[in-house]
Amino acid sequence: MAGVRLSHVTRRFGNVVAVDDVNLEINDREFLVLLGPSGCGKTTTLRMIAGLEELSEGNIYIGDHDVSQLPPKDRDIAMVFQNYALYPHMTVYENMAFGLKLHKTPKDEIDKRVKEAAEILGLAPFLKRRPKELSGGQRQRVALGRAIVREPKVFLMDEPLSNLDAKLRTQTRVELKRLHQRLGATIVYVTHDQTEAMTMGTRIVVMKDGVVQQVDTPEGIYRRPVNQFVATFVGTPPMNLISATLTSEQGRFVAQVAGQKVALPEFLTPGLKSMTAEAMTLGIRPENIQLLAESDVPAGHLPVAGVVRVIEPLGHEQMVYCQVGDNTVVVRMDNTWRGQVDDNVVLAMESDALNAFDPVTERSLLTHETPMLA
Amino acid sequence: MANPVTPAKATRQTTVRKPARRIRGWDNRMAFFTLIPSLILLGVFVYGFIAWSGYVSLTNWNSLIPTLTWAGLRNYATIFSSFRFQSDLRNLVVFTVLFIAGDLVIGMILALLVDQKIRAEGLFRSIFIYPMAISMVVTGVIWSWILNPTTGINLFFHALGFTHVPEWFLSSRFAPSVHLGQIDIGIPVGLLAVVIAAVWQMSGFAMAVYLGGLRSVPEELKEAARIDGAGPWRTFWSVILPQLKGTTATIVVIQAAASLKVFGLIYAMTGSGQDFSTDMPNLNMFQTTFQGDAFAQGAAIAIVLLLLMAAFTVPYVLSMLRGER
Repeated sequence: MAGVRLSHVTRRFGNVVAVDDVNLEINDREFLVLLGPSGCGKTTTLRMIAGLEELSEGNIYIGDHDVSQLPPKDRDIAMVFQNYALYPHMTVYENMAFGLKLHKTPKDEIDKRVKEAAEILGLAPFLKRRPKELSGGQRQRVALGRAIVREPKVFLMDEPLSNLDAKLRTQTRVELKRLHQRLGATIVYVTHDQTEAMTMGTRIVVMKDGVVQQVDTPEGIYRRPVNQFVATFVGTPPMNLISATLTSEQGRFVAQVAGQKVALPEFLTPGLKSMTAEAMTLGIRPENIQLLAESDVPAGHLPVAGVVRVIEPLGHEQMVYCQVGDNTVVVRMDNTWRGQVDDNVVLAMESDALNAFDPVTERSLLTHETPMLA
Repeated sequence: MANPVTPAKATRQTTVRKPARRIRGWDNRMAFFTLIPSLILLGVFVYGFIAWSGYVSLTNWNSLIPTLTWAGLRNYATIFSSFRFQSDLRNLVVFTVLFIAGDLVIGMILALLVDQKIRAEGLFRSIFIYPMAISMVVTGVIWSWILNPTTGINLFFHALGFTHVPEWFLSSRFAPSVHLGQIDIGIPVGLLAVVIAAVWQMSGFAMAVYLGGLRSVPEELKEAARIDGAGPWRTFWSVILPQLKGTTATIVVIQAAASLKVFGLIYAMTGSGQDFSTDMPNLNMFQTTFQGDAFAQGAAIAIVLLLLMAAFTVPYVLSMLRGER
């Protein structure tokens, strides 16, 4: 196993910059997820690590070796493709053994490794079958098996779960995570599915338009997004963004939300000091707001008045869409909450969970020292 | 729509489905009626005449007077024991094998070259397919000029200083010369010139079919092979070529059928050749029937060719149908 380093990696297709100056340090044994919408450059980045795509600029290091100019076979990587790309004319065994055969691995060693991988993945009964005789989930395992037997330094996975149905995807997600722990492998994993990213990644790289937006732990991405794009891309429903006007009263910053004063917590002060304009955006996750009576608002919460517009029951919880001035704010409430459309409510926002953004640059106003919500 | 009949039957009693059923029944009847004219024409002019040929081949009609008395398999015995027809079968095997092999190899090479994301790909494709549009007779005439032993390409060989130049289609040699019964079962060298002309004409077809096949091999499969450590040659041999099995089968069957029917090329280039070294069953059939007036024997040759053709095409069509299902 080894780490991977991307240094000023850029890829242009004609005038289009698909990947723009990406710098990344992927640690040994890390499960790093590249997350972003379609066309954000995450797959291109992965393919450049694999050697399937040339670099326009920059360097890629696997371990200590600069592999930027090496063909895929000399990079000691294995890749799992979205459509699995199994060789249709070969049996499961032959599919897994093909790469080893090409590397002139001794026959008994091939046999040992293939059978071990088959055992781990529960493929032992299917070794003599061809891919078309397998279910989607089994094919997916063969693709994984083909990667595992190679014992590569780095596993590259390009949306490997996206062709599975929802139930199987959840199950395979857990298995992949377990496999990562068992093999102690370095995995670079591309997905557009934030659930996959949040559940499996040790760190997540959020990309947009070829540019890395944020590299952080799943919790960091979720709690302290660096900009409004990350705030709204991750999370279902996304983080609420509330427009406010910034004022200051007796040395403390106060946000005016729809004519109501919200005294902002201390930890926002350093960032807010840099603001020159009055407009700002508050960000808060739906689960960090509670709908309460005014008298019940506990300490550490900031109340704002609003009106219930839509209630969306989801079985185990309900999404309550409230109007606060011109803003729509979603609140995640449990089933015990009883309310009606058009009720006047108080939204109690956890002050520790508050984020603030500059509406012009859309960047977060939190500084590095901002504590993570406990 | 695997089995549209059963669900309709099952719901016959329900009032909701009835109009749909009626429309479908009407559609089916309409389809049947519109097919009737071509069914009749096919029945008479294809299958009717095949049956008629089959019947004639079992009669004594071997002169200008149509003597339709029963002869049993006598005509078949006659042609199979004749030196000419035995030579024809040898030539047919040699020609078919070499022609198909040449066609597959050249077609694949052309397809691989065209598939390199080159500029003006459409132009090259057209150039390679174009010979197919030329009549076989014209091809025969062109190549009999090119391969004429005293002019044509041999002048080029002479200029390069070669004294032993090939005789091309005028050669009556067999290589190797192996006698079996009354005929020599070696490869008739003169036939090679015809094979060259035929490959030139038809390899564009193989290229087109292979190109389609190559384009349908998923890019990810080639990338997986690259990552597995396969070079271009190994990727082609172990990953791409096995995906083209069906494509190859299609080309083999269609070209085998073409080679069984070859007539114009031989007629224009070599004729029967010395000792029938370049004769073909079709030429034999034509001359036996219309120049020798041996109608029953000609019909017997036709039926043998039909059975050979069926031996190639029927298994192929059956496997295709099975594939569709």
